[in-house]
Amino acid sequence: MSTTVLERLERLPHRNLTVLALRGISTLVPGTWTNITSAEAMIHEVLGSTDPELTRQVRDRADELSRARHEGYARALSLYDAVNRSQKAAGGLRVLANVAGALPLVKRLTLFTPANETLQAADLSLKVAAEMLAFTQVNGLPGDSFGDFGASLTEYTSEARVRMAALVCFDAFLPLGDQALQRLDGLLGRVASHELRQLPAYVGMAPLIPGRGDQAHLSFLRRSVDQWVGWADGFASQLGLTGQRTVRALETTIGPWHGGFEQLAIFLDAFTDTYAHTGVQAVARRLVERAAAEI
Amino acid sequence: MSRRLSWGLGLLLIAGLVLGAFFVLPFRSWLPGGTVADVPNRLVVNGTALNRLFPAPEAGETLVFTQEKRGFSQARLKQGDAVRALLSISDVTTSPASRTKFGSSGSALAGWPLVEQGDQSSALLVADRFQVKVIGQGAGLSLDERHELLGAFNLQALAALNPASAQKALSQAQVKAPSLGGQSPEARPSLPAISPAEQPSDNRLAALQAARAAAHRQTAVLTPAA
Repeated sequence: MSTTVLERLERLPHRNLTVLALRGISTLVPGTWTNITSAEAMIHEVLGSTDPELTRQVRDRADELSRARHEGYARALSLYDAVNRSQKAAGGLRVLANVAGALPLVKRLTLFTPANETLQAADLSLKVAAEMLAFTQVNGLPGDSFGDFGASLTEYTSEARVRMAALVCFDAFLPLGDQALQRLDGLLGRVASHELRQLPAYVGMAPLIPGRGDQAHLSFLRRSVDQWVGWADGFASQLGLTGQRTVRALETTIGPWHGGFEQLAIFLDAFTDTYAHTGVQAVARRLVERAAAEI
Repeated sequence: MSRRLSWGLGLLLIAGLVLGAFFVLPFRSWLPGGTVADVPNRLVVNGTALNRLFPAPEAGETLVFTQEKRGFSQARLKQGDAVRALLSISDVTTSPASRTKFGSSGSALAGWPLVEQGDQSSALLVADRFQVKVIGQGAGLSLDERHELLGAFNLQALAALNPASAQKALSQAQVKAPSLGGQSPEARPSLPAISPAEQPSDNRLAALQAARAAAHRQTAVLTPAA
């Protein structure tokens, strides 16, 4: 709680694998994505003015708002962090398993790694649910309003479009194939509650998901994914997003890739923070918009 | 040491640790409730009450609500895909510092003090309580366009919004102002907003202003309204 949202924004990397991956995916999404890592630049953009006194006032108000416990801005960030940590842990484990799979003595390690499609689908659904919970934390709509979420998804601005594209491409198309969105509900239907509990992010998020018990949470996940898939499907077909195009877009910034789609997904999971990176930027923008209105 | 005593001490230690963990560890930040400046919730108008006071979009424009919190509501005015302006209403109870800028305001709109902040933002303080603001986005808005948007808010209904705190004052004022007639504040929901359909008549407005003044005295000087 000690670091404010704008401080987090200023600590984001200017150039690393995460930024390159996002820049790559942003070539598929019209409406340019810029990697804003300066609080001042964001305030100037929202305010339409570079007055230093006004900038200072907005900054002070934004810091006050992000420190206020129930305002939800900081809470949204901790949700993103939880998902990000889990993604990295799972990704790292799978990288290890891929390497270990080639070594005779430790081959058995691969048996313990969650690599199957069902878990990948559960992971994606957790990300969508985290997105929804964070959305309600930041924008303050009541608990589980699926309709509002669907309507506002279409209103997401530049960062969030790239964010959604990254979610669709990196977490659905690459690991699950181009039919991922159609298969998602079926895959989620096969998730058992003990499998859900294997995901580190779920353990962190469980208290925040409406409903009591794993089964209730699972049905919440399926409902939120249902809402999201309808939108994501239109989004993907409108932009023509596929696994193949994702790889080509990434190759423009990261470099040539010779492995399979699945390996690329694991690699991205383990070594990039696209989800938390764009999350911080999106939350910071909403926060600055509010602070600018309240000074 | 007797067996019972050692059990008692052990349980006491565990209870102490659990309680200590609850109060010392940062669980509290996750508990809901409260407002920014720790103003009690009931003194701040909920954003839901503010939503319907936003201007109706003109042809070709859409109004998309983006944030709604206690004492704050914000919407984007969009034309096609482009965001033209951020419109917002905030209750200045949670940000008292924002009220001071209106002290030196020379201009007014619909009778309320008006302030320009930078090149793209105009703010109006309604009823000494609600800040209505228009911030031009993208290509920007001219001064007149911003003022027109400010005027398009339902300012009369906004001025008549009463937080729960003012209700007591209102009932006190009611004793003094019999013109209020059968209007009973207790019988109404906690955040009575007067719908645009039934705009306050002159004498009711006067009573409301008296109530507001009483409420103001009560909160600012901490002396009960006579």
